[in-house]
Amino acid sequence: MSLAAAFPPPGLLLAGAVAAAAASLWLMLPGNALGGDRRVRWIGAALGIAALAGLALSGRRLGGLGEEGVFLVVSGVAVVSAAATIVSRSPVYAAIWFALALAGVAGVLLVLGAQFLGVATIVVYAGAILVMFLFVLMLAQPAGLAPYDRVSNEPLLSTLAGAVLLGLLTVSIGRLSGEPPACCQVPSRTAAVAGGTTDAAPAAADPGDPFATDHVARLGAELFGRHLLAVEAAGVLLLVALVGSIAMVSRGASVEDASADGRAPA
Amino acid sequence: MTLLPLVHDGLLVGAILFAIGLVGILARRNLIVMFLCAELMLQGIAVSLVAWSRQYGDWGGQMLVIFVLTVAACEAAIALVIVLQAFARTGRLDAAAWQSLRESNLPRVIDHGLPAPDTVAPRFPRLTPAGVLPEQDEDEVLHREHV
Repeated sequence: MSLAAAFPPPGLLLAGAVAAAAASLWLMLPGNALGGDRRVRWIGAALGIAALAGLALSGRRLGGLGEEGVFLVVSGVAVVSAAATIVSRSPVYAAIWFALALAGVAGVLLVLGAQFLGVATIVVYAGAILVMFLFVLMLAQPAGLAPYDRVSNEPLLSTLAGAVLLGLLTVSIGRLSGEPPACCQVPSRTAAVAGGTTDAAPAAADPGDPFATDHVARLGAELFGRHLLAVEAAGVLLLVALVGSIAMVSRGASVEDASADGRAPA
Repeated sequence: MTLLPLVHDGLLVGAILFAIGLVGILARRNLIVMFLCAELMLQGIAVSLVAWSRQYGDWGGQMLVIFVLTVAACEAAIALVIVLQAFARTGRLDAAAWQSLRESNLPRVIDHGLPAPDTVAPRFPRLTPAGVLPEQDEDEVLHREHV
């Protein structure tokens, strides 16, 4: 296996895009070696835009409209806001950018055909978890920017680690489109449909169909049919987390008060 | 294997989100931002799972995402309690405030050469005064004072 096979010309473009993304993140992270100048951050932002363009070009040839255009827009929103989440100096702004990233992810899920999950992401994450994060931030945030928000742990090594991971993942994703070895042939539904063996399931049961009218009904049937035990386990997990968090909060706050109250009536 | 349209792109977006979350968790020092990055990684996983669910016409991926949501809610509740307790003990949301917990033979992280804070004061939007001042009802003013 030669190196040239692993890195075809689109692979080269991909590698350049990943490197540009890593450089842009490093330039924009707080406290890197270049000293957080505003111009450096603008250069980083420009590099990030170039990296996004490279990734979009290497992902597929641009030309499809409609579904693919919508996908490009929402995934661009998700990725840009995710990057802004980790380079924001102020944690409150990081949380707001994270909310926007969640909106982008919900759009991606909608385009990919998971309507219920797209809505549930907004409701559960942006509605509950993010508001909880903001509450804790308001409780615990000192005035102004804390010094630990202006520096990063090893910004160069961290972005290198991220770039290596992203490079490995994208190369292996790109290989998926190639011909797999005979051992790993997994029967795909589309292949089965194309082959004429349509006895697997009716077409409306396809979870990838974004226009199915009974999507949620089928999702619920699957969830409370085949995965009923897992639902019960998830309920127990939620209960344990609830009890545990309340116990930890009240215990940490007033151990002395509780013991004093215990002795008081005697 | 022929990937369905958008499945390749969905996997790519999931990988990018996961990598960005990893960079954030490694680099940032604020405990809450680190948890946001962990949630970001979970979002990347969710996008990948839904893409695979679309590829194989199987509900398993979407089921897994539902349980990922459940576990993320539990994790956020527990983690925020721990963050609050850590803040109550040290007064900082700094991960390096707990570096005494690690191996004794590792060197300490010492901040030297902190970058200066941005000297430009943040500019907040200001509403321009518009319209006329409404007439005040005397009874209402008195009533307000009593309230």
